[in-house]
Amino acid sequence: MNAIETKNLTKKYKNKTAVDSINLTVGEGELFSLLGVNGAGKTTTIRMLSGLSTPTDGEAFINGKSCKTKIDEIKNIIGISPQDTAVADNLTVRENLDFMASIYYADKETINEKIEKITSIFNLSEVEDQKAKTLSGGWKRKLSIAMALISEPKVLFLDEPTLGLDVLARRELWRAIEALKGKMTIILTTHYMEEAEHLSDRIAIMISGKIKACGTVADLEELSGKKGLEEAFVAIAERGMSENE
Amino acid sequence: MNKIKAFSTRNRKEILRDPLSYIFCLAFPLVMLIIMSVLNASIPKQANMTVFRIDNLSSGIAVFGQTFVMLFTSLTVSKDRSGSFLVRMYATPMKSSDFTIGYITPMIIISFFQNVIIYIASFIISIITDVDLNIGGMILSLIILMPSAIMFICFGLLFGTLFNEKSAPGLCSIIISLSGFLGCIFFDADSTGGAMLKVCKSLPFYYCTKSARACVKLDFSAGAFIIPIVIVIASAAVLGCLSSFVFKSKMKADLS
Ligand SMILES: Nc1ncnc2c1ncn2[C@@H]1O[C@H](COP(=O)(O)OP(=O)(O)OP(=O)(O)O)[C@@H](O)[C@H]1O
Ligand SMILES: [Mg+2]
Repeated sequence: MNAIETKNLTKKYKNKTAVDSINLTVGEGELFSLLGVNGAGKTTTIRMLSGLSTPTDGEAFINGKSCKTKIDEIKNIIGISPQDTAVADNLTVRENLDFMASIYYADKETINEKIEKITSIFNLSEVEDQKAKTLSGGWKRKLSIAMALISEPKVLFLDEPTLGLDVLARRELWRAIEALKGKMTIILTTHYMEEAEHLSDRIAIMISGKIKACGTVADLEELSGKKGLEEAFVAIAERGMSENE
Repeated sequence: MNKIKAFSTRNRKEILRDPLSYIFCLAFPLVMLIIMSVLNASIPKQANMTVFRIDNLSSGIAVFGQTFVMLFTSLTVSKDRSGSFLVRMYATPMKSSDFTIGYITPMIIISFFQNVIIYIASFIISIITDVDLNIGGMILSLIILMPSAIMFICFGLLFGTLFNEKSAPGLCSIIISLSGFLGCIFFDADSTGGAMLKVCKSLPFYYCTKSARACVKLDFSAGAFIIPIVIVIASAAVLGCLSSFVFKSKMKADLS
């Protein structure tokens, strides 16, 4: 069974098609990246897959369950780290994690276990008792991602997880993401080519709501006839944009 | 159940850790309590004006305090909605009723303790000013004030759901002023009578103070207590349903 499958998934706003009939399949345990310029429709796709937005047309399935009819079941097995960090400001780091864990688990022992685990993966112990609003942008982001992971979701959506992080913090987050690889299916969006190259099993390039290319880095290189993901991306993106004009 | 508990704990902490909530929900009502008591001392006995006498004032200020809990409810909800916090929560298994109950319950508890503090201060003032205050009546009135707290909190939830964090406080301040005057907290409509009293009687705020005041004085007559409290309970029920319904529809619209 595929972790994610979309059939002509479409989202139209008044006079704008944000996502245009995309067909995707992502295997279980795969790390799949969505690349695309600003406004390409990456966030909208993630929102539809996580039940935060209703498709205008088409369908999406998470672990074989339809996002239309089984969204309540799906919500138990997904985690999302939104593009904008979303944490409870006046709560400490630990309280934020506790809060999120308590939504999924009732047992105090399990909750503490999950908190310890995620705190060590993201090295959050040094800021554990700090209020979220006093954290630096990078730490806030790490917390926001940690909160998405506390329920140990089967499918994890990371919308630009390393936005605004310094090089070291980004590398650290990469390591954390790599540690999760294989344990869950991860959908990641990013504007950093080296990040996509480093982390993903497969990559899709979105242009104006459409998937223009999809495959491993080697596939994309071959398709574009260029060396390196960045060159391949630019070639595919430029070709895609001129097609639309 | 654990979802509601987690969410209410978070909301309680968010509010209790904001110093502004103490200034508005506690300090301000207490200052008003003292100012009005001082004012009352300078009102000549012949004027026969008793709204500011502590046995009337205490429950009036308690209701006044509740209007600020409404303000903070609306701020919490509108802030959650404007950022991506609520959106993220929508992707968890939480249901619309989990959100509304999770917003309302901690506020009821906060409002209860706020009223306890206001009543303790009132009791001290009653000793200083040598006015009889019935302790039993006050304790009972703390419970009688709960429907009114729920009504104001649901107003807050409603405004926070419908408006952003800039407009919601503005709307709340209209309710705060309306209840201050037309709720007969700082104004004695009963002795003024006329059109003003009619306006007061057409809004629920008047009945909040009236029922609590009657309870403090252990006056459980139909006109002073039973009818007003029934009206308050009905208003609280209506606003409870309305605000939950509006929240649910807004959530649905957000997810469309
Ligand atoms: N609620 C909305 N109403 C109208 N248009 C919208 C809405 N949300 C998104 N859009 C439009 O849909 C398009 C895709 O937006 P989306 O946020 O999915 O892009 P993105 O690929 O995530 O971009 P970025 O890299 O900048 O985050 C944009 O043109 C955007 O303006
Ligand atoms: Mg985006």
